[in-house]
Amino acid sequence: MQTLSQEPKASTRRGQRADSARPGGGFVYGLILPLAAALLYEGAFRAGLVQARLLPPPSRIAETLWKLAASGELATHVIATLLRVGLGFGLGAAVGVFLGALTGSSALARRLLDPTLQALRAIPSLAWVPLFILWLGIFEPSKIALIAVGCFFPVYLGVMGAIANVDRKIVEVGRAFRLSRLKLARRILLPAILPDTIVALRSGLGLGFMFVVAAEIMGASEGLGYLLVDGQQLGKPDQILAAILCFAVLGKAADWLILAATRPLLSWQDSFARSG
Amino acid sequence: MLSLAHLDKVYPNGAHALDDVSLDVEAGEIVALVGGSGCGKTTLLRLVSGLEAPTHGEVRVDGEAIFAPHPAIGFVFQEPRLLPWLSVAENIGFGLEHLPPGERRDLVEEALLKVGLAGYGARWPRELSGGQAQRVSIVRALVTRPKVLLMDEPFSALDALTRATLQDHLIALWEASQPTLLLVTHDVEEAAALADRAVVMQPRPGRVFADIPIPLPRPRDRLSPGFVEAKRAVLAALDGSLSQPSGGKSSKGSQSPAGSWW
Ligand SMILES: Nc1ncnc2c1ncn2[C@@H]1O[C@H](COP(=O)(O)OP(=O)(O)OP(=O)(O)O)[C@@H](O)[C@H]1O
Ligand SMILES: [Mg+2]
Repeated sequence: MQTLSQEPKASTRRGQRADSARPGGGFVYGLILPLAAALLYEGAFRAGLVQARLLPPPSRIAETLWKLAASGELATHVIATLLRVGLGFGLGAAVGVFLGALTGSSALARRLLDPTLQALRAIPSLAWVPLFILWLGIFEPSKIALIAVGCFFPVYLGVMGAIANVDRKIVEVGRAFRLSRLKLARRILLPAILPDTIVALRSGLGLGFMFVVAAEIMGASEGLGYLLVDGQQLGKPDQILAAILCFAVLGKAADWLILAATRPLLSWQDSFARSG
Repeated sequence: MLSLAHLDKVYPNGAHALDDVSLDVEAGEIVALVGGSGCGKTTLLRLVSGLEAPTHGEVRVDGEAIFAPHPAIGFVFQEPRLLPWLSVAENIGFGLEHLPPGERRDLVEEALLKVGLAGYGARWPRELSGGQAQRVSIVRALVTRPKVLLMDEPFSALDALTRATLQDHLIALWEASQPTLLLVTHDVEEAAALADRAVVMQPRPGRVFADIPIPLPRPRDRLSPGFVEAKRAVLAALDGSLSQPSGGKSSKGSQSPAGSWW
């Protein structure tokens, strides 16, 4: 055996550079703008510059939140909303991944299923509500069905597109190494579609939060959407804003959770976003 | 050892890529496939690898007909085609899944050492230079010890200096297990530096135009008269292959300088 000219020793190890692409304190930057706006408005309110009846100052919203939290009410509403989103998203995303994978990998399945699914996609999801209520009643099942429908389409489209976009040249590497269909899927297709699939799941989850509000506004006795309606009917803008704030935090946290859970799987990526 | 018999390839769009190509290659022989663009070199390699099926004719390795990718045949693509989600070491071990992890690791370490990339195993492909990536892709194919190695212009994207270095690396790697090597190239110098034989092809449809032996000892001195003569002979045949579309086989002595043969 012959050893050829040696490159200078590479010293980087995976563990060492795991997070070098993302500064850990990055979220601090994201807080600057909303905090500054809140402080400014609070200051203007204290100085008597603004009328606070319809737009209560941050301190009042914080107080309302605190009261809701202390009474345990907030937890009830948050849990109700999260359960609906979780179930609806889980259902919609699972079916979306399955059907997307099917139509993405089989031309026959695509020709059979895709036209129908695209036609269904053209229907505004809210148009299903009356039917869902007739079929499933006014309680949880109809709400979860609506959320699932909303989450389904972006996931379905994303997964199908991701499979269609897999580089033929990379698939050929798998063929040259004689991978079976199953191994080809596991060792080449799955990792190749992962980035796009995660983007699809994130947009599906975003729609999940959108539809949970719709479902809860149309009739619920608990949930953050119920807090919104309740605040409107009782003229409590601070409660509405508190619920909106909760949505912002929950939505961001859920998205972050997907990102954090999948980041270790994507550290190989060589894309523009990494270097930013 | 490797025998191609009357290979024809007509693509579904009607393109006649190969017309009655026959070629016999001995075990351990290095054959350079040279020819103008579009004369079917890549097509020929893909037929041999089993990635593509011929319209007529057949490919045999040690008497066994090839219909689909075969464990005895390794393929190095024109681009490195490393899997971006696997580390360098995992890429090299891609074809060794069937081995126990310890054995696989040893083979990969040895391979990295051989191409001068020891310590690079944990890197991602995106952290390699073009030449390093191509070296990894070459050992990925070699580490499974194929009897036949097919290479499609593996160095064409690299600068002249890197290319010459990698050609030396390749010969060193080849010497370890001496597989039969079928190498497509655009570069006459590359053919003269590596091959025992240069097969010059002619386009529209792709045919064998000339078969030029290069009986030089290794390691080869690129400035020796024999080397220069070999280069000249291949260049002359190449030139002839493009000026005689009807396909004569008598152009070995032609003195005319190569025109725009690509
Ligand atoms: N997948 C394909 N479908 C249809 N025609 C093809 C296909 N691949 C190649 N061809 C045609 O077959 C002929 C030979 O192509 P091939 O890629 O084998 O040439 P080549 O000798 O490798 O050229 P180059 O040196 O430019 O790489 C060309 O005329 C090309 O247009
Ligand atoms: Mg080619």
